[in-house]
Amino acid sequence: MAVECLTGKKVLIKGNYAIAQAAVNAGCECYFGYPITPQSEIGEFMSGKMQELGRAYVSAESELAAINMVLGACSTGVKAMSSSSSCAVALMQEALSYATADELPVVLVSVMRGGPGLGNIYPSQGDYNQSTKGGGNGDYKLIVLAPSTVQECADLTYKAFYLAHKYKNPTVLLADGLLGQMMEPVEFKPYPYPEIDNSSWALTGAKGRDGRIIRSYAPLADRQCEFLEKLYDKYKKIEENETEWEELNAEDADVVLVSFGSTSRNVNSAAKLLRQKGLKVGTFRPITLFPFPNNRLAELSKSVKKFVVVEVNMGQMVNDVKLAVNGRVPVELINKGVGTPPSPEEIAAKVEELM
Amino acid sequence: MATQVFKIADTFRKDVKYTFCPGCDHGVAVRLVAEVLEELGLKEKAIVAAAIGCSVTIYDFLNIDALESPHGRAMAEATGIKRARPDKFVFTYQGDGDFASIGLAESMHAALRGEKISAICINNTTYGMTGGQLGPTTMVGQVTTTSPTGRNLEYYGYPIKVAEHIALCDGTAFSARVSLDTVANIRKAKQAIKKAFEVQLKGLGFGFVEILSSCPTNWKMTPEQAHDRVRNEMMQVFKPGIYKDITEKSGK
Amino acid sequence: MEKDIIIAGFGGQGVLLAGEVLANGFMIDDKNVTWYPSYGAEMRGGTVNCTVVMSDDDVSAVQKSQADYIIVLNQASFDRFEAGVKKGGTIIVNSSLAQVKKSRDDINYISVPITQTAHDRLSNVRMSNILALGVFARVSNLVSLETLEKALNNVIPPHRKALIPKNIEALKLGYEYDLLKV
Repeated sequence: MAVECLTGKKVLIKGNYAIAQAAVNAGCECYFGYPITPQSEIGEFMSGKMQELGRAYVSAESELAAINMVLGACSTGVKAMSSSSSCAVALMQEALSYATADELPVVLVSVMRGGPGLGNIYPSQGDYNQSTKGGGNGDYKLIVLAPSTVQECADLTYKAFYLAHKYKNPTVLLADGLLGQMMEPVEFKPYPYPEIDNSSWALTGAKGRDGRIIRSYAPLADRQCEFLEKLYDKYKKIEENETEWEELNAEDADVVLVSFGSTSRNVNSAAKLLRQKGLKVGTFRPITLFPFPNNRLAELSKSVKKFVVVEVNMGQMVNDVKLAVNGRVPVELINKGVGTPPSPEEIAAKVEELM
Repeated sequence: MATQVFKIADTFRKDVKYTFCPGCDHGVAVRLVAEVLEELGLKEKAIVAAAIGCSVTIYDFLNIDALESPHGRAMAEATGIKRARPDKFVFTYQGDGDFASIGLAESMHAALRGEKISAICINNTTYGMTGGQLGPTTMVGQVTTTSPTGRNLEYYGYPIKVAEHIALCDGTAFSARVSLDTVANIRKAKQAIKKAFEVQLKGLGFGFVEILSSCPTNWKMTPEQAHDRVRNEMMQVFKPGIYKDITEKSGK
Repeated sequence: MEKDIIIAGFGGQGVLLAGEVLANGFMIDDKNVTWYPSYGAEMRGGTVNCTVVMSDDDVSAVQKSQADYIIVLNQASFDRFEAGVKKGGTIIVNSSLAQVKKSRDDINYISVPITQTAHDRLSNVRMSNILALGVFARVSNLVSLETLEKALNNVIPPHRKALIPKNIEALKLGYEYDLLKV
């Protein structure tokens, strides 16, 4: 990356670089990673920048090692992250489960590509379920943020670090190959969030106190139940405080198009085309995939006649929309398995068919 | 006047009862680690990455900061801790399954990177906590619950000699194998642990000790018989010694 | 107003960089703009392309199958992208490396021996991509030479700043190329 990213100046950069620069600005002390297209630029950028700043960068031997290194670094209270993509994020699921149980502020950037298996390197939204439902064991939730522009890639990276530390819960920035590879003007603001005091739990050496144990092993069933209740109280709080979405013209709409991430740009354009034709179409974009904006969707379902979910996968978020709407009105799906999202014209035509 | 000949290290938690099986060498190994931590004054700056298996319970005994790691990943966790806090003393305490089977990649690469970390690997030639199955160090001919007719090479392949392999890694500053079968060997083991810790403190590289250890429960032996086996069978194949020590000029 | 531009050629012709310069130009002019490349496995050997979308409003979609302007630097790109020019749109063809076989009458064909000109006038065929941008600026009227000069400054890294004068020369050559000659 040639450009220097000073705060307060617009620069044209790739989503991957925007994420990396934002992580640096956020005070990320450690980056651990292993290359995979379409997010390798993040590690490439970090390898130079972190060294230059006297921070830590490790080319890990695998994604398995990388994410566990993040757990280790996070246990000492610092901001630390990894980044990866689909089939390699699959390798990290065990550690993410541990990190929820250990209540560690892990930040993971997941830049989705086509799947299942090795799949391909083109954009995809096929890991909605992987990030929101989890592939690890046990009852847990990851906080999941889904940017739709390169500017949001930067802004939500800041937020990911903040929420991870505020709630001591692993947080995923869920981008895709389109956002990772595209360039768009970005203006970097200084990290806008307060620093979270980690001194009550971080491992810093047992100086003047007893040794602390960060563990998930709870051999007594009672204690495990107690822990899970506490964990889910926390998730409830996150739902109350942090649910974020964006809606356009949804109030008076007959049809609301629901999408997340890069797909939302095309969906907004499609809605515009349909409005021009006099059709009452609005859009709704969850920015936090967990917590999912269930309540707002439920509220809208009282006035909206139909929801149409648009996503680049075989239909994943559509199920969450159905749960939120709870059968009050029909929920339809427009989808494409992998690749860049359907064009605004294609989406508009399909929506008209469904109306 | 009474002379104190034995003292429980301050790095131990108070009033803790060992949960290891009677005759298990983990107890001795943990005590040695605690003593070395105290003697080197590391209690306030030590962080241990605990592993999975019987070794995980180390955090119940030592009064130091500890992070439990997923199975095999202790060395990755330790790397993360050390890179985040280079001023801390970071070590792992792992079994042979954790260190040399599921975690072999992490172990070798930590050594190859020359991470300033110290690692203890307990070799008892079996998976202890799960009930005595065949592991990476199970000896040729050894009967386990998953090698009911003994480890034959045709079917199961060879056991790994961990200390030798770690010594081959260029980032390793110290690699040794020790045994706990006699008082004399316990003393040597403590010296080796101390050395493995000191190379980290001096910033020289990766410090490693493989500890041959008894597992009377899974071997279905008395503690005495188990130590006889360590001496007569294990030490014949897994030969104790210093395999690498860059602080020794001769580099034997 | 929204305009879509595709730049295509083979690997090594600086197609992605030209797109980046152009996108920077639009940014400097306070337009909304996106740049999206063909990437990954496609980077090796075959054709490379990128899509630049410039808009006064939000960019409607980042990737377009059709464009108002398509710049093709080699034959394979001409063959692939001729059909992708929007009705009334323009294809700028590097006639040094592509034969212009006009199969449509609803688009404009601009034919410039870009590589040859870069070779003859700049002694450097690697300037072809920037020269092509000069042609585009003249033909499209969507961006000024001054803006593209500033854009070059944004894109060329500090340790390569010495290359800027030569690149500006290339821009001008493209801009001033006598299109009537063709």
